[in-house]
Amino acid sequence: MMTVPYADVPIEEKTRLFEEVKADARYDSYLYGCYECGICVAACPSARFYDFSPRKIAQALAREDVELVYEQMNDDVWNCSQCFSCLRCPRGNSPGGLITIMREVAVKNGLRTTREALAGYTRIIYKIMTTGTQVSPDMLQEDAFPDWGPGVKTVSDNLALWRRALPPETMHTTAQSWQVEERTIRELYAIWKWTGTLDMIAQVDEGLHDIMEEVMDDALEESGIDLGP
Amino acid sequence: MAVAERLLVIGGGPAGLEAARGAADLNRPVLLVEARDTLGGTPWESYATLTPHLKPTKEIMAGMLTAVEDHPLVDVRLSTRVVAREGEAGRFLVTLEAADGSRQVEEVGAVVVATGFQHFDPGRETQMYGYYEYDDVITLVDAERMMQAGKVVRPSNGEPPARVAFIQCVGSRDRHIGNKYCSKVCCGIASKQSIEIKHLLPDAKVFIFYIDMRMYGFWEDQLYWRAQEEHKVNYIRGIVTEVIKKGDQLLLKGEDTTMGRPMEVLMDLVILSVGMEPSAGTLEMARVFEIPREEHGFLATVGEPLDTVTTPVAGVFVAGAAAGPKDLEDSVSMGGAAAMKAVGLLSRMSRTPA
Repeated sequence: MMTVPYADVPIEEKTRLFEEVKADARYDSYLYGCYECGICVAACPSARFYDFSPRKIAQALAREDVELVYEQMNDDVWNCSQCFSCLRCPRGNSPGGLITIMREVAVKNGLRTTREALAGYTRIIYKIMTTGTQVSPDMLQEDAFPDWGPGVKTVSDNLALWRRALPPETMHTTAQSWQVEERTIRELYAIWKWTGTLDMIAQVDEGLHDIMEEVMDDALEESGIDLGP
Repeated sequence: MAVAERLLVIGGGPAGLEAARGAADLNRPVLLVEARDTLGGTPWESYATLTPHLKPTKEIMAGMLTAVEDHPLVDVRLSTRVVAREGEAGRFLVTLEAADGSRQVEEVGAVVVATGFQHFDPGRETQMYGYYEYDDVITLVDAERMMQAGKVVRPSNGEPPARVAFIQCVGSRDRHIGNKYCSKVCCGIASKQSIEIKHLLPDAKVFIFYIDMRMYGFWEDQLYWRAQEEHKVNYIRGIVTEVIKKGDQLLLKGEDTTMGRPMEVLMDLVILSVGMEPSAGTLEMARVFEIPREEHGFLATVGEPLDTVTTPVAGVFVAGAAAGPKDLEDSVSMGGAAAMKAVGLLSRMSRTPA
């Protein structure tokens, strides 16, 4: 018999995670059946650069191959860029959507490989979830982006000035990509708390979770929004 | 020469029944000869339900049988074989032999051969699936017989199987065996049976190991998609090379080709999707009527693809799986076409004095 990766993880645990993926409300509309035509792989940008196949994701789930699904949840799902080019599947499957579900289950369950895969994204997660915008202009540092060439230094040395030169007033910012309405931010905080998205973070980075929870709780309290129990 | 009015149909399966009914409805007297003691042919004898609609065979075919049995112009001879013929198109003299050995000569104007196929015998030396060694290795036909009794169990112990595997293309598409052709219906039948197994045993895992799935036309969504999507049947591209006994289970060795890895899997029941070969009766009719066999061994036709029923022997037509692998739709359509051609020939000959 072939060697099974992650042999140290009991089959019951792998089955539990698989069942959690299958129980997702979106699952049935993301997976019909796979006849292995490969159109998703042909369309997939990630498949050109990584040892990654959206077809195998759909196949493994359709076959209910619990071992392989667990392996993919650890080794493959973070190679997807979630561009959804794979939606052209003639059977109507969404391999990218299946990966979304698998990622969420991996995050909620704090898989070691998920914590490792997301370790480099702490700052980005913090930015998105506290400001509602992703990469901010002040992240553009000469040492962080040498591949952007010598112009980076000129821009970063006078960042606030360059930003003020942009026509939209909402972009005269340096610590976030654009100015987000206070009300919008609070709504985002409420959504992330209500839907459990914030709690998901606790499984992969408890420190980050605690910092963000404090920011959100303070803001919500200040604005008088009561999320209830 | 006086043209004999009557048409001889040999074989009472779907093709022969349709040929007999069609010719009789065109006002031709028909002599229908069937070697078995009942009409209906291979589907009636061996198949619990028919592809692709999974309806009970007896229920949906019964009308075909009675239409012929009750037809005033059809003379049905059961348990009877054609053993010799003389003459030519317009006036054949055929010798019929009944089960008790008694013989009778009959005069007919034209002949439709509808003697069908037999299932491939998976006991040949290159077939390492252990059909005659292991109780739990069966064929599609054995599975149908179980389904006729309303159950699917492991023959070794009478228990329902938890894991069932179909192996496709057994006896088909294989140079070593000598059958280079695809038998056309086995993908559909295996898919049909996999759905039926899931109906009977919802918790069973069912696998179909295949080279190509050939689910043409409506079978694609009626059977293939339905089995895969509604019943979670596992289609795995890669044919099994060998079945060996392991404990009280069967170990299948093969390659999972689309996953790119070798596979060894344990099963409780293995169903071989055996293909079609010319039946003994078909080979016998090739001899009696001197009908050439085409390169795969079935009865030759001369007008493919536009004429599917005319053989190189004047006055002799073929319908159904005697001419090659056919599904039911093809067989019945050919039965009608053969009746039309045969009746047409006799009418033409009657109008034209010899």
